[in-house]
Formats: sequence, structure tokens, C-alpha cells
Amino acid sequence: MNDQAPRPAPPAVGPADLAVSLGPLRLKNPVVAASGTFGYGLELADLCPPARLGAVVVKGLSLTPWPGNPLPRIIETAGGLLNSIGLENIGVEAFVRQALPPLKAAGATVGANVVGRAVEEYVGATRLLAQSEVDFLELNVSCPNLASPGGLSFGADPDAAARLTAAAVAAAEGKPLMVKLPPLVADLPLLARRVEAAGATAISLVNTLPGLAVDLETRRPKLGRGFGGLSGPPLKPLALRQTLLCARAVSVPVVGLGGAFTAEDVLEFILAGATAVQMGTAILADPTSPLKAIEGLGRWLGDHGLTGFDDLRGSLQLD
Amino acid sequence: MTAQAVSARPDAPALVEARLESVRDVGGRTFLLRLSLPGPAPQPAWPALGRFAKLRAWAPPPAVPLLDRPFSIHRSAPGQVEFLIRRLGPATAALTAARPGQAVRLTGPLGRGLEGTAELAAGRLHLAAGGAGLAPMASIMERLGAGARLFYGERTAEAQVDLAWLQSWAGEVEAAVEDGRGYGRRGLIVDRLDEALSHDPRPIFGCGPPGFLRALAVLARRRQTPLLVGAEAFMACGLGVCLSCSLPLTGGGRVRVCREGPALDGLTIDWEAGR
Repeated sequence: MNDQAPRPAPPAVGPADLAVSLGPLRLKNPVVAASGTFGYGLELADLCPPARLGAVVVKGLSLTPWPGNPLPRIIETAGGLLNSIGLENIGVEAFVRQALPPLKAAGATVGANVVGRAVEEYVGATRLLAQSEVDFLELNVSCPNLASPGGLSFGADPDAAARLTAAAVAAAEGKPLMVKLPPLVADLPLLARRVEAAGATAISLVNTLPGLAVDLETRRPKLGRGFGGLSGPPLKPLALRQTLLCARAVSVPVVGLGGAFTAEDVLEFILAGATAVQMGTAILADPTSPLKAIEGLGRWLGDHGLTGFDDLRGSLQLD
Repeated sequence: MTAQAVSARPDAPALVEARLESVRDVGGRTFLLRLSLPGPAPQPAWPALGRFAKLRAWAPPPAVPLLDRPFSIHRSAPGQVEFLIRRLGPATAALTAARPGQAVRLTGPLGRGLEGTAELAAGRLHLAAGGAGLAPMASIMERLGAGARLFYGERTAEAQVDLAWLQSWAGEVEAAVEDGRGYGRRGLIVDRLDEALSHDPRPIFGCGPPGFLRALAVLARRRQTPLLVGAEAFMACGLGVCLSCSLPLTGGGRVRVCREGPALDGLTIDWEAGR
């Protein structure tokens, strides 16, 4: 370099703004608690105050209470968890009446995960939630632990997923509605586009990966119900790939999940195209992990001279 | 730890870095771990009496084993907590092989114990321990003194803890071993308890594997004796959110071992579900 003039000081970088927009929703940061790992929002408040997170998605809610599956419901597999809880939940009415008011009073941004065995059940639950204080809905079309029909049987079929999404969007009466997709489908970009065209405000993926753990001595599955859903670090490479494929197929925001434990994991999902990232198994392993990730995000952005995520989102170079 | 939340409730769970003070091999592949809590002493002692905590003596998540492991609190004193841990798998191997001075991640105190129960207030209990179910009994013996009698059963002599150590905190112990090779009577401890109930009726607090608790429930029904259990189930979170430890009740509804328990009314649990 022949220019000997003193280099101008880099522009002053203010503290990073971690906020992200999920369609019409503004989240204070991109870290969201995944459904099934944060209860009804206040159980972990001593260790992880829900208002500190971008949002919390509460346990999957059905129109009427569900008892869930027989024990054992979770086992640890190599590096991950295999679960078949079976969506035990108190039902949408009890949630809206008892659990939601204190959670909103605590300052949380609340997403309600909605489950059902038939379109009418999804629609009925969505109607009740549309009248409530929840900030958004997450339509769960991808639970692997329900007998068919229900859950995954909707998410595996683009026609069924689109019909269900359209019905739920109508019932949501303008409340933002995110659709949670399964990890493996024949044509993910097609499924994502159909769900987007049906009116979804955002797409979250991936749900757990169907799996089986075997007890050699009893010659039976280790889980009470047999099959389960795999979560945690083993899922992360798959989840990153599907997040990328989905984000490049649709224009609505994508929320990535699957094995995110740290700020670096969250940033990898954002590079792949995610607007926000859900943490799930990480919370079960350490309920303070979302707080650590949020701190780490601010630090990482600062260290890299960035003030937000806009330059990072979807910036992964594939070739 | 910057991410640590502070709560006003004295018994609210905290996630802290404790220090391992000592590890003592007490026989039967079982080890007594004494941890010191961070922060200025004196502190109020942690609640025990059937409550539990999660421990981790290896690299933080996502290292494997992925999950911290839950253990009954054996005893507590201001600034100190003790755990009785049986070496069974990789997590308990790491914990029991840890060296004094090592940091141990400790989340607790968790769940509900016997405090506030009529059975504890009445001051007389038969304590029935199946195997590693011995762990929560010491703090109850401390509280009740002669009001508590310990019944301790194992399958094999190799699994029995050292008798002298056991007697050092439990006094006179009624022991049984199924293989007949160790100390105590040959057979099932539930049968010894049955005999005792015939001339010394008291409420029971039982802790051990599900099959053992099921047998206690059958006995307690037949003897028309109140039964509290320190229930055991696989826990991912230990904090009430994952629902892996949700037990069905005979009258409908469910309870979480980690939140409504581990101390639960053993006669209300549907022990036959999912067998």
C-alpha cells in the first residue's frame, strides 16, 4: 500500500441489536424456546426468565386434554434424545384460562403450539387461541408420536398440509401462524411453498426425526410406545440443510431448529437462512442455555463489527 | 456465572458450580459424594427429606452423556450437600470417579419431599429402601431419630453397602438379600416389612425401583397402611417441562415425579399402567 495517510478509525459500532422480525412479530432476539421443552412457560422461570427470550413456544395444545403415552417416554441415545411423550397437555381452554395470563404478565412473547387428530380439532383449538393473548400460533403438522391420523400424517402430504394450514389461518383471524414441518419429506421445497401459499406467516423446521431404540434383553423397544422422535445434536446437520432448502424456497421467515445448543449453532442456522432459531433439547440439558446463547450472540456480533443479523441471514455460500 | 438467575424464594432451584469435597466408597458399587456450595457461609442447609438435585461432573452439553443426572439428596448441612450414588453407567462412573476439588454442576434443590406431610409430622415411619433407594433415607432418620426404622433390601450380596457404615447413620437395620449370601435375612425386604407391620404398624416411606414400589403398594393396601414413595422415573429436565416422568393416577390425571414428587402418595399411583 502506498497510501501513508493514517487509516480512518472504523465507524463506531453501537451495541448490537439482536431483534428480528418474524413477519408482523418483532422478537427481541432470535432465540426461541421450542415446544415441549419449556412447559407452559413459567416452570423454568427461576433459571430462565421467559421474558429474556425472543419468544417461548408452549407445550403442544389440543382442543381437549390429552393423557400422553406410556412410560418410558424419553431415553438418551448416542448424543441425543429419543422421545415419545405423546403430547400430554392440559388442553387449550385450561391453558388460556390458567397458564397464559401469568406468562403474559411476566413479559413473555408467547407462541402456542397447536396439535390435533383431525382438521376440526386443529381449527377448534386455533379459534380459542385466536381470541387469547398469545402472540402467535405454531401449527404442529409434524409430531411423529401420534397414531394416524394426526400430526405427521398432515405434514407428510403437501395437499393435506395446505388444506389444514388454510383452515387454521382462517380460524386464526389475523394472528400470526407459523407451520412446523417434519424433518424428512419427499419434496421439502414443494411442501414449504404449498404451506406458504395457504397463508402461513412463517415456517419452523425441523420436528424430531422418527426413530427406534431397542432393548436387547427384553427384545422390546426401549420407549413405552415403541417408536419415538430423535432430537438434539445428531439432528443438527439435517436441520441446517432443511432450513437452507426451506429458506430458499419461500419468502416468509423460516425458524430453524434441531440440535442448536450454543450461540454459534444459532448463527449457523441464521447463515443457512433462518430468521429465528428454536432451542429444545439444549434447554432440557441446561435450562440456562438460551440465556448463554443470547449473551454469546451479542458478543459474536460485536467481535465481528456487526450491529444485527441482516448481513448474515441466508449468506451461506453453497458453491 | 453470568447466566445464572437469582430468585427471591429461599428454596428456588439454582444452577451452581459446586466443588467436590470428598468421595467415599461405601461398598456395593455405591459412593458417598460430599459437595460444597459456592457463596459465603453460613448458608441455610438445603432441604432434603426426599428432594433431589441434578449433577454433572463432565463437560457441559452437548458433550455426552447429554443430560445431567438426578439424585436424591442424602443429607445436607449449611453449605454442603451429600449424595449416595450407585455406579451403573457412564454418568455415575464419571461422578463416582471424580476427584476432590473437582467442579460439579449442581441444579437444585428440586421437587417436593416429605416436608409438610402428616406422616412426617406424626414422627413414626417405616423406611423401606430397595437398592439405591437407600439414598434419601439418611435425612429422614436424622429428623425422626428413633421414630424411624430402616428396612433395606438388595438382590445380591455384591450390591449391599457396608453394614458398619449403614449402621453409623441408621442404627439398627432390618436387612434382606435375595441371594442369601450377604448380611440380613434371605429373601425379600417387603416380607420383613410385612412382619413388622403386624406388631408395629406405622406409615411407610419407600424408595426404590418401580417394581419395588409396586410391591410396597400391594402390601400397604393389604395392611391398610399409609404409603409415601420416593418415586423414580427417567427424567430429562427434572424441572417439570419434558413430562418424561409423568405417572398416571388410579383416579385419573397424572403427577410429575420431578415436580409434584418425588415424595408422592403411593396408593394413588397406577402402578399397573404400562407394565
